[in-house]
Amino acid sequence: MAELERDVVAEVRRILGEELDWKGAVEPSHDLLKDLQLDSLGLTVLAVGLENRFRVKLSEEDAAGVTTVADLARLVSRRVAETPEERR
Amino acid sequence: MHSASSLDPSPLVRAVGRALPPHYASQEQLIGAFRELWSKKHFNLERLEDLHRAVNVSGRFLSLPIDEYHPLVSFQQRNDAWIHAAVELGEKVVRQALDKAGLTPRDVDHVFFVTVTGLAVPSIEARLANRLRFREDLRRTPLFGLGCVAGAAGVARAVDYLRAWPRHTALVLSVELCSLTLQREDLSIPNIIASGLFGDGAACVVLQGAEAKAQGPRVVASRAVFYPDTERIMGWDIVDTGFKVVLSAKVPQLVRENVRANVDTFLAEQGLKRTDIRHWVAHTGGPKVLEAFAESLELPREALARSWASLREVGNLSSASVLFVLGETMESQEPRPGDWGIMMAMGPGFCAELVLLRW
Repeated sequence: MAELERDVVAEVRRILGEELDWKGAVEPSHDLLKDLQLDSLGLTVLAVGLENRFRVKLSEEDAAGVTTVADLARLVSRRVAETPEERR
Repeated sequence: MHSASSLDPSPLVRAVGRALPPHYASQEQLIGAFRELWSKKHFNLERLEDLHRAVNVSGRFLSLPIDEYHPLVSFQQRNDAWIHAAVELGEKVVRQALDKAGLTPRDVDHVFFVTVTGLAVPSIEARLANRLRFREDLRRTPLFGLGCVAGAAGVARAVDYLRAWPRHTALVLSVELCSLTLQREDLSIPNIIASGLFGDGAACVVLQGAEAKAQGPRVVASRAVFYPDTERIMGWDIVDTGFKVVLSAKVPQLVRENVRANVDTFLAEQGLKRTDIRHWVAHTGGPKVLEAFAESLELPREALARSWASLREVGNLSSASVLFVLGETMESQEPRPGDWGIMMAMGPGFCAELVLLRW
């Protein structure tokens, strides 16, 4: 896993622990809905937290291929690479 | 098992007053006002705008002009503004409700005052006693903390009282000025959603005991339902600057898991079935809550049309919302003698209140 992806996983851990009162572990293989029990509000809080930290925008269409924490880390890394520095 | 309404020992609903404060702001105006604030913390403002648009609210009536909220920072400033506006709107709605029922403040024996958006001691109905000149033997029951359920629960408690005092008149007064609770510094997603959903308003229900010779739907029965271990589903955290919202996305799920069984059990005790109910008076919690009500109770969309319309026009008015829908149902001329209705709301606890009405 690339460094940026590891940063995303760390941020997911922070958001779940600090903002969503998640007490369990957060691993890249974890399913966002089944393992981490995120509901619609939790997913929004997570998306907003990642957008704020990495200065990218995640869309509804992006969510289609995202099931696990690792999927999410890859998506955010891809968006970071696609977004010009000055817009971030 | 129910007697004809002329012999019915159940208290009756005479009228429902509804009042909104004077300062209307469309949802787009409010989004515009919030944008700068959101940009202090958040990167993707379009996502937050979408959250405000997704709640199906076209605008809200505010207690103050939109520019006058900015200087309100401390709890004291917000609460002082709340007391002032609550007394004004409370007086207006009580006068309107009593006029509709053809009664005066001197006819009132008991006022149940419900709110969850501000604190006042003496409470608001005491301050109104000085303005409206209620009788000096007026009984007062101020209720703080029931939240959105308090409109339905307030009616249910007033009806409990009127069963003991069948010649008495009781008011249930709800004043909810949600805009004055807004914690602008709280840029969390639950608070941003709440700031898109909740509005200000007041409602007053006039109820009379069974011996009143008057018209109106009767409150045949009520049922309180408490859901154990759900304290963080909804509520306030009381902080130095006032009331900070606790809002979980699990509300629609709780509705789906419970409401159908709650309603069916309650109706079965009255010898009724869901298909006997012609009028559904549902709290306008939000789009997902209304969808969950309709889905779990197997209702066609039009069954909750008044709740959807109220949500769109004025937002969620907390405890006043279900009373707005009750008033609109009563004044629609749609209910016919013998029709059954259910008023239902949910609130912090988490809990629900079901009220069975018969026209």
